[in-house]
Amino acid sequence: MNQFNFQNEESVLIYFQEIATSEKIVRKEEFEELLTQYSKLFKNFSRMIRISDKNEHRLQTISHELSIEKKKMEVVAEQLSRYLPKQIYRSIFAGDYALELKTRRKLLTVFFSDIKGFTEISASLQPEALTYYVNKYCSELSDIAMRHGATIDKFIGDSMMIFFGDPESKGEMEDALACVRMAVEMQLRLSELNAEWMTEGLQYPFLTRIGINTGWCNVGNFGSTTRMSYTIIGGEVNLAARIESLCEPSGVLISSETYGLVKDFVVADEKDLVTLKGIKNPVRTYSVRRLLDDGEIDTPPITLHIPGYDQVLINTHQLSLPDRLDLITSLRSVLSLLEGHKND
Amino acid sequence: MKNIEISAAQRTPKVSLDVSRRIFEIEGESYPEDTKKFYEIPIAQVLEFLALKHQDEVICKFKFKYFNSSSAKVLMDLFTAIEDSANKGNQVKVEWYFIFDDDNMKELGEEFSEELSYAKFELIEYS
Repeated sequence: MNQFNFQNEESVLIYFQEIATSEKIVRKEEFEELLTQYSKLFKNFSRMIRISDKNEHRLQTISHELSIEKKKMEVVAEQLSRYLPKQIYRSIFAGDYALELKTRRKLLTVFFSDIKGFTEISASLQPEALTYYVNKYCSELSDIAMRHGATIDKFIGDSMMIFFGDPESKGEMEDALACVRMAVEMQLRLSELNAEWMTEGLQYPFLTRIGINTGWCNVGNFGSTTRMSYTIIGGEVNLAARIESLCEPSGVLISSETYGLVKDFVVADEKDLVTLKGIKNPVRTYSVRRLLDDGEIDTPPITLHIPGYDQVLINTHQLSLPDRLDLITSLRSVLSLLEGHKND
Repeated sequence: MKNIEISAAQRTPKVSLDVSRRIFEIEGESYPEDTKKFYEIPIAQVLEFLALKHQDEVICKFKFKYFNSSSAKVLMDLFTAIEDSANKGNQVKVEWYFIFDDDNMKELGEEFSEELSYAKFELIEYS
């Protein structure tokens, strides 16, 4: 540590100590007392500076150690965040989330998805390729979910469980609508991805079923005090899973409760009442065909005039979501072929 | 003379004086918002206690984790009073405690001990 330079003060002290020994000095006792006090003050002053420097050095050391620890914590926190719903992670690190086994009842919109024929897909791919496609699939769907404000509960193999309404809610209608919008965007994105992956040589596309239900669930921390999981349970969660199993591949099937909340914003086909395993009463579902844009009125059918062919009439309103996605994929392929010929 | 018993707070140390056992003790962190206001009354009493004539040994225990510069000035005045007390014939012992890896606090103790020649001084490590 640097030593402060007190050369001037020391020379003053030495000078006046020499004078104090002189016989000629008047009021000698008072002069010596002043010198003693000066000497003491000087000693204390130099001591204070040394203490202050030591404290500052200590604080700098601690500050440096803290910044290193903070960086380590940030890396760990970032890694940990991938194992937790983003909202829960943010709440924990903001210090406003109680880590206790506690649940509450909330009106949630619950989403389930899975991939049709995943067993066959798994068997047809090398493990590395399967890992690549599954991770890409999950990442794409997760990104869409996060953009819509979803809470991603868990991945179960090829299935995803997501919900809206906790820990943040924009209101039951907005939550339900966000969920349906998310589901439609997921299917649109998957149709693009499947088209890409098929050109890469993927044998079976990742055709996904989606089921959505809105109802009162228990949400919170379940498990033990040493290992807990933030999740939802209840009959309405099971119903969402059952509805998902009824959905046609590439479709979005919603319960009548969800439909009641979003009916002004979607075009959907009412399905027959069905009896589902473990569900007491028959269930009415709706297959989402498409989302209605703000202030949208009916648009006329699309008519294609192709020389040498009959007129092709596409009534978009009557297409189911899977049929619409199929058509998009087919038209993209046609477009790609035509563009290829144009370059010939 | 009355005993002193001030509990530690976030910015201030525990301060105690046991008159009958002749033990003065200060422990914790010291960076009061108003150092003069916090220390003025208890330290005046301790200085008065040190100025008395004592038949048996007086022990002054310092167990700091941190103190700021204005608290250091208070300590200097205390050490001066301790040394004066010892110089006048009292047996006074200073015990300066520091956590085993806190070299800084150990060095600060050594720094303060330079003030003492009549009073005894002991550095005590604890964990």
